[in-house]
Amino acid sequence: MKKKGPASGRQKKDNSPPDDVFRMVFDKIQTGIFIVDPATHTIMDANPIAQDTIGLPKEKIVGNVCHDFVCPAQRGQCPITDLHKTIENTERILINKNGERVPILKTVAKASMNKKEYLIESFVDIRDRKKAEDRKIALIAYIDESVMRVKKPLEMTKNNLEFLATQVSSGDYDTEDIRMQIQIQANNIGTMVNTLFELTKKVSDEREEIPEEFRLFFTGT
Amino acid sequence: MTGAITIDLQDDSLLYLMLAPPDKINAMNLSVLKNILSRNCTPLIITVNQPYKILAKTYAKEGIDAGKIYVIDAVTQYSGGTCGPVLNVKYINNPSNLTDLGIAITEFLKIIPGEKKCIVFDSVSMLLIHIPAVTASKFLHFVVNKLKLSDISGIFLCVEKGLDPVILSQMSAFVDKIVDFEKKDAGIPS
Repeated sequence: MKKKGPASGRQKKDNSPPDDVFRMVFDKIQTGIFIVDPATHTIMDANPIAQDTIGLPKEKIVGNVCHDFVCPAQRGQCPITDLHKTIENTERILINKNGERVPILKTVAKASMNKKEYLIESFVDIRDRKKAEDRKIALIAYIDESVMRVKKPLEMTKNNLEFLATQVSSGDYDTEDIRMQIQIQANNIGTMVNTLFELTKKVSDEREEIPEEFRLFFTGT
Repeated sequence: MTGAITIDLQDDSLLYLMLAPPDKINAMNLSVLKNILSRNCTPLIITVNQPYKILAKTYAKEGIDAGKIYVIDAVTQYSGGTCGPVLNVKYINNPSNLTDLGIAITEFLKIIPGEKKCIVFDSVSMLLIHIPAVTASKFLHFVVNKLKLSDISGIFLCVEKGLDPVILSQMSAFVDKIVDFEKKDAGIPS
């Protein structure tokens, strides 16, 4: 059975593409699209990518208001119809069937068909991009922390060794005093080398996960 | 000579984060200690920087009676040094052994005589050699809570700019005051 959508009732000129072409683009484009009635905010149509992102078939999406899936915090404050703003490549949240918040980049355009207005809401899922950004931030923070755990302690070690040199010449400290302090500084330098080694390893591994302690500390998740 | 530097700890039960350049951390330790003793307060030094034996000699040179000071030494065993039986000193095998460090703090706070006690942590920066900032932050939070519940003063020594902004902001929330030792030093003629 031939699918019918809002585009199918369009008045065509002689050289315009047939309705089937628009339906094919609607179905095949790798962007999620909702067609929304601006008066009621009811979803009139949802393309396969929109269905996949939400995780529900079209029949369970069509007929719902758009706030059930997109812009959940803005019920009654629709930027387009209530606030008369434009949305173009703006970060928004889509709620999928499991209630998970999916970050999307959304654009809304107004379109008129058969003298009736529609909102064409198109979006791209940016979960991967967000994940990469989070990882980058955490990695920078991790590098920053590792540098911090080496740079200042090295300065302190340098000062401790200088202090140690004065102790040697003062004659107030015995050999064991000096040995002990040299050993502490040597152990500390060893620990700093290990910290740097860990850093190199974690950066070069290009692992998916961020080390747990840093994820917790810097992203709070 | 470090005696010329003075720090005015305005309240006996406040928590301080004291920042100094790396070359002034030892001077800050001495200055803070003198201030605490002048207030008839019993100090508990937690050292992850210098072994007790060295601290005791340094204190003696500065005219400080090491017998009046309680010490948790986390570096003597770490260096393979001998842990002599000293009543007011507890030794921890490694600065990263936070469990033993926590136990030693708790035990000492119970037995230190007198009403006025003060913990001096020397130093947060050196602790960060051994453990990640997030672990250090949790441990210091634990210590701070213990001190607040017991109405005991605490001074955390740290190298300036030696803390990640995140841990610094967390520490700022724990403590009552942040004192920049160098600025303090600059304002006081030696």
